Amino acid sequence: MTGSLLATASGLCVVTAAAALFVPDRIRALVAGLGTAAAGGFGVAAGVAAALGGRWSVWLPELLPLAGVRLSLDALGGVFVAVTGGVAVCTALYAIGYAREHGRVVHGVLPLFVASLLLVPAAASVSTLLVAWELMALTSLLLVLAEHAHRPEVGKAGVWYAVMTHLGFAAVLAGLALFAAHAGGESFDQLRAAQLPPAARNVVFLATLIGFASKAGIVPLHVWLPRAHPEAPSHVSALMSAAMVNMGVYGIVRVGLDLLGGGAPWWWLVTLAAGALSALYGILQAAVSSDMKRLLGYSTTENMGLVLLGVGAAGFFAVSATPVLAALALTAALLHVVNHAGFKTLLFLAAGSVLRATGVRDLDALGGLRTRMPSTTVLFAVGALCASALPPGNAFVSEWLLLQSLIHALPASGVAGAVTMPLAVGVIALSAGLAVATFVKAFGVGFLARPRGGQAERATESPATMVSGMAVAALCCAVLALAPTVVLPALTAAVSAVLAGPPAVSGQVRLQLNGVIGTISPLLIAIALGAAVALLLGALRLVANQRARRRARLWDCGAGPMTPRMEYTATSFAEPLQRVFDDVLAPESDVDVTPVKESAYLVERVRFQSRIPDRIEHRLYRPVLAATAALGRSARKLANGSVHHYLAYGFAALTGALIILAVLR
Amino acid sequence: MTALIQVILVVAGAPLLVGMMRQIRARLEGRAGAGMGQPWRDLRKLARKQPIAPEGTGWVFRLAPLLLAATAVVAAAAVPLVATDAPLDGVSDLFAVVALLALGSVALALGGLDTGTAFGGMGASREVTILALVEPTILVSVFALSVRAGSTNLAAIVGSVAENPWAVLSPVSLLAAAALAIVTIAETGRIPVDNPSTHLELTMIHEAMVLEYAGPDLALIEWASAARLSVLLGLLASLFTPWGIAGADVGPLALLVACLALVVKVAVLGALLAAGEVFMAKLRLFRVPELLAGSFLMALLAVAASFFLP
Amino acid sequence: MYVLLLDLACGAFLLAGVMVLWRRALSAIVWLFALQGLALAVLVVVLGLHQGELELIAVGAGVGALRAGLLPYLMRRALAAGGERRETQPLVNVATSLLVAAVLAMLAYAVSQPLVRLAPSPATQAVPVALTVLLVGFFVLVTRRRALSQVVGFLLIDNAVTATAFLTTNGVPLVVELGVSLDVLLAVLVLQVLTTRMRAAFGGTDLDELRELHD
Repeated sequence: MTGSLLATASGLCVVTAAAALFVPDRIRALVAGLGTAAAGGFGVAAGVAAALGGRWSVWLPELLPLAGVRLSLDALGGVFVAVTGGVAVCTALYAIGYAREHGRVVHGVLPLFVASLLLVPAAASVSTLLVAWELMALTSLLLVLAEHAHRPEVGKAGVWYAVMTHLGFAAVLAGLALFAAHAGGESFDQLRAAQLPPAARNVVFLATLIGFASKAGIVPLHVWLPRAHPEAPSHVSALMSAAMVNMGVYGIVRVGLDLLGGGAPWWWLVTLAAGALSALYGILQAAVSSDMKRLLGYSTTENMGLVLLGVGAAGFFAVSATPVLAALALTAALLHVVNHAGFKTLLFLAAGSVLRATGVRDLDALGGLRTRMPSTTVLFAVGALCASALPPGNAFVSEWLLLQSLIHALPASGVAGAVTMPLAVGVIALSAGLAVATFVKAFGVGFLARPRGGQAERATESPATMVSGMAVAALCCAVLALAPTVVLPALTAAVSAVLAGPPAVSGQVRLQLNGVIGTISPLLIAIALGAAVALLLGALRLVANQRARRRARLWDCGAGPMTPRMEYTATSFAEPLQRVFDDVLAPESDVDVTPVKESAYLVERVRFQSRIPDRIEHRLYRPVLAATAALGRSARKLANGSVHHYLAYGFAALTGALIILAVLR
Repeated sequence: MTALIQVILVVAGAPLLVGMMRQIRARLEGRAGAGMGQPWRDLRKLARKQPIAPEGTGWVFRLAPLLLAATAVVAAAAVPLVATDAPLDGVSDLFAVVALLALGSVALALGGLDTGTAFGGMGASREVTILALVEPTILVSVFALSVRAGSTNLAAIVGSVAENPWAVLSPVSLLAAAALAIVTIAETGRIPVDNPSTHLELTMIHEAMVLEYAGPDLALIEWASAARLSVLLGLLASLFTPWGIAGADVGPLALLVACLALVVKVAVLGALLAAGEVFMAKLRLFRVPELLAGSFLMALLAVAASFFLP
Repeated sequence: MYVLLLDLACGAFLLAGVMVLWRRALSAIVWLFALQGLALAVLVVVLGLHQGELELIAVGAGVGALRAGLLPYLMRRALAAGGERRETQPLVNVATSLLVAAVLAMLAYAVSQPLVRLAPSPATQAVPVALTVLLVGFFVLVTRRRALSQVVGFLLIDNAVTATAFLTTNGVPLVVELGVSLDVLLAVLVLQVLTTRMRAAFGGTDLDELRELHD
């Protein structure tokens, strides 16, 4: 069942890719979109089937030379396949309307990207995983570069992405190759059974952690993310941000918890610290960013950081013999993966809708879209509510679970836990608070009030296909927010696939924690809120004045009508936060005063410029890049254009290798 | 049943609490004051005015007061004020109550942004900044309080303190109480974080956001702010001095006693707050993070103390 | 009752220590230091009452007189004589200092666990409190500019050492305590003389200006 569903999904992807290349331009978007959406649907079905007990595995020795392709889908992989499928359905529907002007390459590569995303969690051997991983990297790179002809920044973002993703690939390759060498086989079953020396285990874990974390956009390996996401087409951004980054989390859980089976506590404290750092740094950058898609990209770093924090806590609890909390933390992390996929798809698609209608991503130039794009506005509001972890949004539920797992860690679980967990709670709280500020800014400045620029003023609502793609995502968010118990069986199965122990959370309307005391019911909270609103409306009807609303001028201090230039922009909105976190963000500003020619005292023009560069990029990557460039320049002396020299290098290398061989043997 | 009592108490009592606090301030400052019932009279007057739709505002502006008031009502029903078995217990815990109140603030901030005036944007920006910085203190204090009870469910926390009244005097409780008191002041926009009676553009936070509201909308907002203040003060009272609070399944007499105890406790807290405001000046906006960092430190020390001074 | 009082004294001791980082006014810092001295005295007296040792109670009273009475009095006099009233520009800003203090508290808790495990009792369990104050005192020494803040930082360390001694052992012999107290008094007097000299020479007690002596 699971196998045929997954095979259908991947087959449909390949067929769609081929079809997209050959059908006429007129119907290409429709064919590609419907095909990919159908493949996504089958992906969801396969994932759900796998999560609910249909473990499936297959070995196809002919498909790949030497090792063959080994596929297997268990509950953990199933959750990720289902999430990918869901995201694919929304983005593919959306792309029918959105990606009409894109060429055949984009339409053809998108299904392949989806196929690679479906295959990564289903890989059951090192070589299969690496092939799928590389396919994912290449197809996503092609998609990021889709608009490179129109904007030069796209190329630059593509270079960053290509380099980072391949460095990550190299780290994963090194780690898993070492693992396979020690295990004496490369299928996951053999790896699971292998007995590695502790040093090798540490190296394997760290190498794979680095590789997978770079895919998940974890600080300090996140630099590609805020570059590639804004420059890719929006539906591609959605797929990357909601589905692809999850693969990093999947890899860490699979290798660290499942294949290596736990390990030392410090592994997980490192993971937790990386997650906490990403959560804070990501949301802080998002809070002060005024580019809508860049903001969403940084928010992805934040959310993946929270997930990794949960995974780290789960691993830590698992190796320090508190399985109840481990299961709870991992459930929370996986639920957050699902929730994040839902709202991030929605938000990126809505941002794309705005981008299509206005051509600008800069929040400072938007505004007033509420009347011009009503559906997009409402849908973005839903996404923003979910992303800011407030009830009745879906991220609230997963962050609540995560907090519950952390606060029940008592000193009994060791000094390290007792010291780490309060700090982790503080980090989650601050990132949740900053997320609220970020999304109030994104929604309030981007969509409310009056337009600040001509493009925003001329915006029109997106076509029905795009809105339907967003609506599906919004519906998923709503279901996840109000009835998170719907996905609990699948998550519980996924958790028990890697951690022993009873299910952590149960319940129908109420979420009931097992092993520790804690209950919550998002549905009843939402109902109570609705009842309170109804009550208040009734009370107002009884006591308040019932006349129709009178239009009134805004309070302008008597200085004439307010112009849009007087509105608060995203930059000014974030200014207090920027000031508070001045030491962390290190904003750069320069004031440029041009005096009148005749006199130095009369000012003709004052230019003020302020930027908030990514500090990690500046401090960490610039020196490395500079050093690499210097090395390259010095190496250039070797290449002086003489063919004889080049031949001599080859000859010298060959003889050198032979001499070494002769000496060693 | 208890939910209904609590909501009625908060609905009726919140404006009186604000009136009492204003009266205390007036007396301490040598003024006669308008009397305790003045907020109710203001509300009545506002409710009878014609509602207004400022130019360029939309559904967000109109929904915000309703949502703000609704979160206050739900919080009033969910927090154990008169009885430990608040009916929404098990549905929402301390985290949820905190998040609900934050939702109310967010609604109002969006309402302020929707006007498109500089005042609205400024107020919203400052409000969410403070909201973001307050969050760590709240959650870490919740952590400290939940260590003894083993849960974040409000009934469990309040119940565990009610069983062991001396525990209130432990450093954990005192530190957490101090941290939460600072946070309450910040959340409800009182001095030294915000001045509820200022209309000077450089210092406004809450008032800047609600500048465009008038008539019934403003009445709703004023009432909701008062209700949030009373719920938060009531929560502080229940968390740290749950004396007189009714247990589960008790008769009407115990409930009556509990109501009276609640009124007295909240009135005392309000009086203290009002008296403190007379002697304090508002902090500069960029000194507020220091205050909040201090409260975060206290909350974290409370957690640490719960480990090493059990 | 004993545990409650002990915990309260420790809590006050800790809070007074970290509040030094919070307040800018030097008079408030001196006041906090006096409060901490009082908390320390109460701590010692409570320990003495619990163990039923008259000597320890007497030591407690002495500690209180010195650290809550004499030393703050001296510092207040120095403050009244000198110009600066505020710690205007600490090297690390106040909000960050407070967060650092929070981390230091966690660190102190982590490193003192082996010590506590040697002889778990309500008194030894409070050792992290003393250690936190010690680290905070060191941090004050590192980041604050005014000479008076430096003196307070130094005295915080001394308070912390004294508290650790009383919490871990059954009290220090009276002679040792007297000797240490005299040392502290002497150090404060020296520092006060130094402060006065500095003010006479440079017109301020910003320690960064001492660098000029090097040049």
